[in-house]
Amino acid sequence: MVNYIIRRLLLVPLLLFGVTVLIFVMMSFLQPVERLALYMRDFPKNEKAIPALIAKYDLDKPIYVQYWNWLMGKVDSASGERSGGILFGDFGYSRSQSQPVSELIKRRFPATLELTIWAVAPVILVGIWLGVQAAVHHNGFIDQAARVFSIIGTSFPTFVFGLLMLMIFYANLQWFPPGRISDEFARIIESEAFHRYTTLYTFDAILNGRFDIFLDAMRHLLMPILTLSYISWATFLRVTRGSMLETLRMEYVTTARAKGLPERDVIYKHAQPNAMLPVVTMAGFSVVGLLAGAVMTETVFNYPGIGSAAVRAATSLDVVAMLGFALFDGFILIIAALVVDIMYALVDPRVRLS
Amino acid sequence: MRKLFALLSLLVVASMLLAACGTTAPTAAPAEPEVVEPAPTDAPEVTEPTAAPETPGFTSPDATTFVIAESEVGIDTLDPALAYDTASAEVIQNTYETLVFYDGEATDAFVPMLAESWEVSEDGSVYTFKIRSGVKFHQGGDMTPSDVAYSFQRGLLQGGYSSPQWLLAEPFFGVGNDDVSIVVDGEGACADDRECLSALPAEDLVAACEKVQGAIVADDAAGTVTMTLAGPWGPFLPTIAQTWGSVMDKEWVIETGGWDGSCDTWQNFYGMSSADDPFSTIANGTGPFTLEKFANGEEIILARNESYWREPAKLERVVLKSVPEWGTRFSMMQAGDADLATVPSANRSQMDELVGEKCVFSIETNAYTCEVVDDTMPFRVRLGRPGISQDVILYNWNIATSEESPNPYIGSGTMDGNGVPADFFSDVHVRRGFSYAFDWETFISDVYNGEATQSFQLTLPGMPGFFLDTPHYTLDLEKSAEEFKMADLDKDGIPAGEDPEGDVWTVGFRVQMAYNQGNPTRQTTAEILAGNLAEVNELFVVETLGLPWPAYLRSQRAKQIPLMTGGWLEDIHDPHNWYQPYTTGTYGGRQSLPQDVKDQFSAILDRGVSETDPAARAEIYKEANQLYYDLAVGTPLVLATGHGFSQRWVQGVILNPIFPGLYYYTIYKD
Repeated sequence: MVNYIIRRLLLVPLLLFGVTVLIFVMMSFLQPVERLALYMRDFPKNEKAIPALIAKYDLDKPIYVQYWNWLMGKVDSASGERSGGILFGDFGYSRSQSQPVSELIKRRFPATLELTIWAVAPVILVGIWLGVQAAVHHNGFIDQAARVFSIIGTSFPTFVFGLLMLMIFYANLQWFPPGRISDEFARIIESEAFHRYTTLYTFDAILNGRFDIFLDAMRHLLMPILTLSYISWATFLRVTRGSMLETLRMEYVTTARAKGLPERDVIYKHAQPNAMLPVVTMAGFSVVGLLAGAVMTETVFNYPGIGSAAVRAATSLDVVAMLGFALFDGFILIIAALVVDIMYALVDPRVRLS
Repeated sequence: MRKLFALLSLLVVASMLLAACGTTAPTAAPAEPEVVEPAPTDAPEVTEPTAAPETPGFTSPDATTFVIAESEVGIDTLDPALAYDTASAEVIQNTYETLVFYDGEATDAFVPMLAESWEVSEDGSVYTFKIRSGVKFHQGGDMTPSDVAYSFQRGLLQGGYSSPQWLLAEPFFGVGNDDVSIVVDGEGACADDRECLSALPAEDLVAACEKVQGAIVADDAAGTVTMTLAGPWGPFLPTIAQTWGSVMDKEWVIETGGWDGSCDTWQNFYGMSSADDPFSTIANGTGPFTLEKFANGEEIILARNESYWREPAKLERVVLKSVPEWGTRFSMMQAGDADLATVPSANRSQMDELVGEKCVFSIETNAYTCEVVDDTMPFRVRLGRPGISQDVILYNWNIATSEESPNPYIGSGTMDGNGVPADFFSDVHVRRGFSYAFDWETFISDVYNGEATQSFQLTLPGMPGFFLDTPHYTLDLEKSAEEFKMADLDKDGIPAGEDPEGDVWTVGFRVQMAYNQGNPTRQTTAEILAGNLAEVNELFVVETLGLPWPAYLRSQRAKQIPLMTGGWLEDIHDPHNWYQPYTTGTYGGRQSLPQDVKDQFSAILDRGVSETDPAARAEIYKEANQLYYDLAVGTPLVLATGHGFSQRWVQGVILNPIFPGLYYYTIYKD
């Protein structure tokens, strides 16, 4: 197992290199003047100044020079100041949002991470549980209901479901407001008296002993979580159900039953673990999807995460920002793939042995 | 499991029933008579222009915080010398202050603000302001005459055509001298180019700076600031009453990295851009609100200035919240969590259904009359006030593009049917073809629900030069086709309709028309134009492109956008303020108008601004109307009448149309 993890970890730098090359190639399709945003904040007002700036940042040099500068930044020989350099956390400047891309990610990602952390359990576990129940009660009422539920969930556009939830539970019932936190608590969070250990409001609230803030943050999270969950449950339900049905037909399950094992043990101890392989894969990529920003959900619920920032960058043709987000998402994907592979090995010994 | 399923189903059904039956607004409460607060000084009076209804109203769940849900909170800069968009100016007007201020809703009457009083010389060219004492900046500094003089000097020297400084430059430097770069070399060859300007002879730079400093002189002992203009300038007070006349703390500006007041260094700050301006994201004015939080694109929070020199504002806090999705903004209004929201005209009907109080503007009385139309409904609507802004379709005569920096909005960049060349709109027949292809009737009906009229000219009603019988374009697709056939884009001397080698009529074109995102009015403008042009000739393709406000503004300034709608909210109610920007000034620049065209307009405008007789001025601006029409420089769209919503508990709003946004000082909530 340790060997397997080490082997897998050694692949990470290679994959990271691959992602940077891919993003850089996409970046290279931009004109040199557009790539200036990787190194400087403002678009030059004076057309005449552009060639000098392109030369200054080596944007007319061979591609490997530009790639190196993109990774390491360009150091000004006179002032010694570094501009750009993704390895130093500088992803360029977002012109649509008037701030460095890394600053934007730093400011927006905690919100998305918090949403992911709280959404991941209901999204995955409930989805799996529903799928198992549907399979166990194959062709029964629960199975039929779950299939209808799944069809509705799959065919319901996220923004429609989100707006419906917003209309019912916010506009009318005023239970669950949009945004991330109420203004009165936002002021407390931004005050010096409140320690921001994690920048995740719910966790910081608990660590600061402010359960009122925790509850308010949860109030804001509930609708996005429900929306994300409902849309995802349908998929998890179908995959788990299919996998479980297939597993329940296996001979070893029949053997387990023949041995006189209780049905509960047969399902949860023998069948379910073996049915989880495709689900683990899907769960891993669901988490990546959530971390990359639940675009529609964040927009509808005015949730200030990375997804809504990416939408704004995309709709404004802010390519440098979009590729900055893509690079960040690529890093997340690699880490998530690593975790999924390790989980695979845990779930299925054949993986690590091969 | 069955029990759980049944429970969940019941919960969903119950929620939907509650949603259907639920009230859409907070509980109604008896209205209190509106309060008219006496003004503590001779500064602007706090008045409520709206007649208060005598029927029950609504009570805000939080009377201390005023929340505005906007489609986008995109502030370009909070530097008063640089800000020239309404979103930025709204925040500046509430955090900084000017020497004089508009008197309530009047656009041409003024009251003292940071100046206690002022005197004007007999010839109208020297203004002496007595500066108010005891006023402090938010960070504790005392406001002095030196701060006032420094603020104006800094603004003029910072200059640049992306800023509003042209409005101040002309009175101080003379008609047509709308940037300090012109003062330096007489031509403005280094306009908007700091490097170029810095390379000019040092003595010329110092001389220009000394000219500015000589025109605006502070006397701290006497408590006065004297401003000497190049000549009489009628609309000088309206000019300095807007945000670019705001007073900044000289010491704070210097400490924060701004101009140090020396004539040897001013050029280092010339043509400042918002991204590099240290004052773009901070504020330290004397205004009734301080900047508490600046999260551009997300929210901006203003907090009441407790040390304000007048009585502190009634609201403790103002929150400008970015809520891009209309459905979310609508829900916030329904839930009572937003006091105001950006309502796209296409969605007005949704809001109209929830209107409980209707206020209609009367031009005769210059006021709104309100009545309660449905006591159970939460919103107030204000209707009928003619706007002081209009959009104009603008054609870029020389679109910025180069090998190093190819333009992303013009496709192939050549006349091959898959793009347009940079000089596409330099052909008058192309511009006329576009002008004849716009459908005002559909636009007014679809976008404004009939609440607008076609604009025939740049001037507005009530100004010299406004004529109802002025020549103007109307929808006529046949004439549009004729104009395109007369165009000659390949410049071979053969009209496009007869050109055997192919020209715009036979080859077609593809071009992007940009608009600022979250502005469906401009989006529809582009879509109507695109649809009609496709009818004129199926080879004519106009693609619509939404850009966020800052990006839209930047691309315009870079002269990259080939086709756009340029809006203008007048700075002062005068034809000069319309013709200058749309011909020789801001938009003229963004449209890359050639110098000979600018010169033709300049000659007319110079006569217009120097003339004092309104009848004579009207005749002069009639010439401008004709020239603008003949050259089809742009296509004026419509003059809309107001249709705005708020919660019924919002009181004390000064509805001065010339304000960039709301002036929060007078607002309170029931």
